[in-house]
Amino acid sequence: MSDVTLVESPVENVINPKTELNGHDPSKLISMRNIWKTYQMGTESVHALHGVSFDIPRGEYIAIIGPSGSGKSTLMNLIGCLDTPSQGEYWLNGKNVSEMDDDELARIRNQEVGFVFQTFNLLARATALHNVELPLIYGGVSSSQRHEMAKKALESVDLSERMMHKPNELSGGQRQRVAIARALVNHPSILLADEPTGALDTHTSMEIMDLFERLHSEGNTIIVVTHEADIAGRAHRVISIRDGQIEKDQRIR
Amino acid sequence: MKRGGDQAAEPRRLIPALPFSSRTNTSSAFRLTAIWEAFRVATASLRANKLRTSLTLMGIVVGVTAVIAVVTIIKGLDKTVAQTFSSQGSTVFTISKNPQIIKSREEFVKFNKRKDVTHDDADAIARLCSACWRVGIAANAIETVKYADQKAENVRIRGVSPTTMFDIDGVTIDTGRIWTENEGESGQDICVIGTDMLKNLFNDASADRAMGQEIRIAGRPYRVVGVLEPLGSIFGFSRDNVVYIPYSTYQKAYGARRSLVVFIQVPAPEQLEVAEDQVRTVMHNRRGRTADDPDDEGFSLETQDVFLNLYGSATSNIYIVTIGVAAVSLVVGGIVVMNIMLVSVTERTKEIGIRKAIGARRKDILTQFLIEAVTVTAVGGAIGVATGFGLAYVISALIGFPLLISIASAVLGVGVSSIVGIVSGLWPAWRAAKLDPIEALRAE
Repeated sequence: MSDVTLVESPVENVINPKTELNGHDPSKLISMRNIWKTYQMGTESVHALHGVSFDIPRGEYIAIIGPSGSGKSTLMNLIGCLDTPSQGEYWLNGKNVSEMDDDELARIRNQEVGFVFQTFNLLARATALHNVELPLIYGGVSSSQRHEMAKKALESVDLSERMMHKPNELSGGQRQRVAIARALVNHPSILLADEPTGALDTHTSMEIMDLFERLHSEGNTIIVVTHEADIAGRAHRVISIRDGQIEKDQRIR
Repeated sequence: MKRGGDQAAEPRRLIPALPFSSRTNTSSAFRLTAIWEAFRVATASLRANKLRTSLTLMGIVVGVTAVIAVVTIIKGLDKTVAQTFSSQGSTVFTISKNPQIIKSREEFVKFNKRKDVTHDDADAIARLCSACWRVGIAANAIETVKYADQKAENVRIRGVSPTTMFDIDGVTIDTGRIWTENEGESGQDICVIGTDMLKNLFNDASADRAMGQEIRIAGRPYRVVGVLEPLGSIFGFSRDNVVYIPYSTYQKAYGARRSLVVFIQVPAPEQLEVAEDQVRTVMHNRRGRTADDPDDEGFSLETQDVFLNLYGSATSNIYIVTIGVAAVSLVVGGIVVMNIMLVSVTERTKEIGIRKAIGARRKDILTQFLIEAVTVTAVGGAIGVATGFGLAYVISALIGFPLLISIASAVLGVGVSSIVGIVSGLWPAWRAAKLDPIEALRAE
């Protein structure tokens, strides 16, 4: 896996950041235009992102890579609608996310984004099933439907035997699969994974990446944020971030 | 690229997407779901921290227990008092030298300057008051009563005349008879005893066994001619711990130079005012005003209202003190709840972050923590209601009055403590609700 060659991308992915979007292009699941994120540190303004633009079509499998401090986490938070840009336009599945308030963002996160975190972020006191049901609870799905959907999601990650187990009764790989089931249960537009294998051993990491591959082949749009080259190498397209800007945007498969 | 050009088409999904109509985002069903989830989380987190939860409960429990116990006890006492006084009822009033309640030393000095109320006063009232139905006189002493080697302490010796005083007192004969007026006026050493005497002097024997026996009061022998029907007790004091003797006999034993109390009964409460006016006139005509105190009537005319008023003011003071105690305890309890909720929010920052990341809105988080606070205080309130009733039950059993469980006070107890929960949970819940999800996820 380590000898992945990053091929320079064709021109199609390069976007002039000055291009204004005239409404949303429905062929793109994600459109970011000239995104800035500025933090106020005392009297100083720090630009975590300056002028990031890219599109992601439906069904793509993308890795976002970059060293720490590159702005990659900031970008992930923006893509995941945990935060809004200081400037610029972000369209997700036909909705202009950049101007939404807290509760609208919560709604979008619930319906459009499935998060997978490095440290799994499961509720310790809840069973696997309840953890997977949680997005449906906030999505207002009725209890019987919720059970059914959560069970199906757990089956799809081969955890039907472990539904009633709490996270501390599961291995790291199993916990991450519960988290993936939770991310998928609400049929989000994107699966957004932040260092999904960072807390796992090599063997389990490969299992999780195989699972991502399968989910991608089943039509899900997957975005993996990572600093590991071999994890990024499993994606079909790699966006490299450095100093708050896109350094490279390459199609590798 | 295996997926080719079909990427823009609707992707095949892992799970078939739900039709939009099956999502009930804004309906009340959703709110119920969210509230149920909040309740589940709340109870789980309360269970996980049992010691903390029980300490948090304490303040609320103490406050509610105090209120429920006092309210229940006083309601029970109210009923007892109402029943007791209705046996004599509001048709009886008294004329005496001193009022039954003396509030100060000055009053005591003032009342002692009054003339004694005498047998003649009673006769005059009986003769001249047309609205009066029954008139009698009574005097009391507290003595030890003996029979053979048995003795009864602190017995109320009640010298009465005429025998209609039994009716005024609302007591009836169970066994034997009342003395005749002749026997009474000639000062014979005979008596009618309360049922406590059977218990204490005659080893709980039947009333017949006591008939004709001689009991000794302060060394003097008295023959038992009758036994009264039991009256029960009030505030733990037995009303059957009594021996009635004729007033003439009482005078022989305790001396004639004592002020007595005149009891006057009217047929119905409506006549009370007329009778009181007539009696006042009679008394004024007979004795004028107290010599050196023209403001004083020279005697005390009292109804049972005196007791009821005293009782009322005593219980209302108890209410006020208890409500004060409860308020302080609930405020302290509320502060404890707020403190614990703040700790809980800090401890669970990560959890809040996770919930927000997967779509919990501010009001979902707010509701969750509010419900947690209200759950603690409502449970505290419920426990307080239970222990309050329990305490009242024990006390009522000890003192001997009926236990009146009031649903309203139970509802009030739980309701007030729930409000304490809302008030004290609001700020911590609001802090939780406005946490930034990114910051919150970073917490450990």
